[in-house]
Amino acid sequence: MTATTGEVRLEAIVKDYGTFRALKGIDLRIAPGEFFALLGPSGSGKSTTLRVIAGLEIPDGGRMLVDGADMTFAPPGERNVAMVFQNYALYPHMTLAQNIGFPLRMDGVARTEIAARVREAAAKVRIDHLLARRPGQLSGGQQQRVALARAIVRRPRLFLLDEPLSNLDAQLRLETRIELKRLHAALGVTTIYVTHDQEEAMTIADRMAVFREGEIMQIGTPEAVFGLPDTLDVAAFIGSPPMNLIPARIEDGAVVFPGWRLPFPGAPVRGAVVVGVRPGRVHLAEDGIPGRLILTENLGETMLLNVEIDGALVKLRLSEVRRFAEGDAVRIAFDRDDVLLFDPETRRRIDWRDNPGQAA
Amino acid sequence: MTRPRPGAARRIALTLVAAAILFVWAFPVLWAVVVSLKSESEVLAWPPSVFFEPTLRNFRDALTGNLSIASSLVTSTVLATATTALTIVLAVPAAYAFARLRLPARSGLGFYTLVTQMIPPVGLVIPYYLILNRIGMLDTYSGMVAVYLTFSLPFAIWLMVSYLEDIPREMEEAAYLDKASRLQALWHVILPQVRGGIGVTTVFVFLNAWNEFLFAVQLGGNRVRPVTVAMHNFVSIEQTLWAKLAAAALIAMLPVIVIGILAQRQIVKGLTVGAVKGGGRR
Repeated sequence: MTATTGEVRLEAIVKDYGTFRALKGIDLRIAPGEFFALLGPSGSGKSTTLRVIAGLEIPDGGRMLVDGADMTFAPPGERNVAMVFQNYALYPHMTLAQNIGFPLRMDGVARTEIAARVREAAAKVRIDHLLARRPGQLSGGQQQRVALARAIVRRPRLFLLDEPLSNLDAQLRLETRIELKRLHAALGVTTIYVTHDQEEAMTIADRMAVFREGEIMQIGTPEAVFGLPDTLDVAAFIGSPPMNLIPARIEDGAVVFPGWRLPFPGAPVRGAVVVGVRPGRVHLAEDGIPGRLILTENLGETMLLNVEIDGALVKLRLSEVRRFAEGDAVRIAFDRDDVLLFDPETRRRIDWRDNPGQAA
Repeated sequence: MTRPRPGAARRIALTLVAAAILFVWAFPVLWAVVVSLKSESEVLAWPPSVFFEPTLRNFRDALTGNLSIASSLVTSTVLATATTALTIVLAVPAAYAFARLRLPARSGLGFYTLVTQMIPPVGLVIPYYLILNRIGMLDTYSGMVAVYLTFSLPFAIWLMVSYLEDIPREMEEAAYLDKASRLQALWHVILPQVRGGIGVTTVFVFLNAWNEFLFAVQLGGNRVRPVTVAMHNFVSIEQTLWAKLAAAALIAMLPVIVIGILAQRQIVKGLTVGAVKGGGRR
């Protein structure tokens, strides 16, 4: 289903709390029908951005447009957006039917129609057998479904989800993640999803924006953000475990590590660089950077080795579990094609080859 | 080997102490009940008679005699009801504002409330008398209610703020997104969740107004004579009609006792509100 409405545009949004600048000029365009994740650590401004879109915060600068109409100062009720809060914010004194029907009641929808639409929305998230209960009598997962039903019942232009899975246990979180994706596919409504969990964002979103300290570091598809992080900060945040960032120098067409040279024809710069390489792309080798194995982590199907090289910690992922003696001297290596280079001064990625062009 | 159940002695001791405390608290009421059932002459007999013919004459006299408190009961009801209704209508929105907006006065509210409850009322009687006299509101319902409001409002606002602050902000944000206006959110989402708190506040304010004596006797007294003042007519220079006084006191106590029993559970809940969760509250 391709949506034609629900385009969101943020232009230079600034938000201050007293002297603290929570948002330092957010520019963002979210396409109609997109599943878009706002990803970042706590305090990075992702929730504030969501609240600006919802109308719960008025920005101190910039504009917010939905489908081309300026909504910057429109009250929340006029934006036709539905939001699922982290704590669900269900009304404890109302039954589920009353909870789900509340937005319709406020909208002046006729009683009979409310009943029908409540039933329909509840069926979509499979809680239609619980409608007479109150939120207090439900499990966390069921409460979450109520919040979703209350959001979809009004057929809004936008769905806003603020860390909707963070109060669920791990197993339920995985199931609900799939369900959210399914729901989005069925409804085709633009969905904006706030999370601090990069794995969640990677698996669920069409595109995502990575936040840090009130700024967007990078916008792109999960593949682009994972494969070609624009900055050291994104590189250090995305991936589990994230990318290894190893200080090195470029000299005479090679990247020089303490005790190892990686030939690098066409190396773009000279001097200090930071080499980024994913743990899965590092391997043990006869010839490589000398280091010491300080810790092994058995992950079941794979294993992680923590190797200390010249003060830096490098993680490598092995595709099979083997026995290692911790404390052993090892050598690690990687291929030129698996490496990203970053400028330690500007903290930005250095383009040194024809990028696959997937960066958004 | 038999050992006494641990704590048995302690339990007996505690029970005795509790009984002693209960006796001290209950004795005046007990005394009033006994005296109200005696004739005036029997009341003064020494040693007091333990066995006597109980009579309900004193209750009849208190309600219908020439010193009847019946009209004063109406006065008290009007005063307490008006005070309570106005307090709730004004305090709930005010408390909501205190709980939700970043008002500079918020930090002073608790202190101000404490002051109004702790300041000796005697110190305020004369200023209030002069003020009411100047504006011609001595011995009027509106004057009395206005004075009562100066005490009940801060207390009620302060109590309601603690209930309202317990309700997560997201609750009304959700309501706003659901197209509710601020007033609709307050009415449909917030107020139903603080019904208990409103009940507790109502009871406290009503009982305070009902029991009030000092201001009533100084600022009211003739046209506006609540039952606490009217009872005093049984006490005069020549004699004190103890039996009728006791009967009148019991009648005046009745609403207090009924409300207390009805609201007991809510009041206990109300007194402990914030005891667990309130740690972070200012």
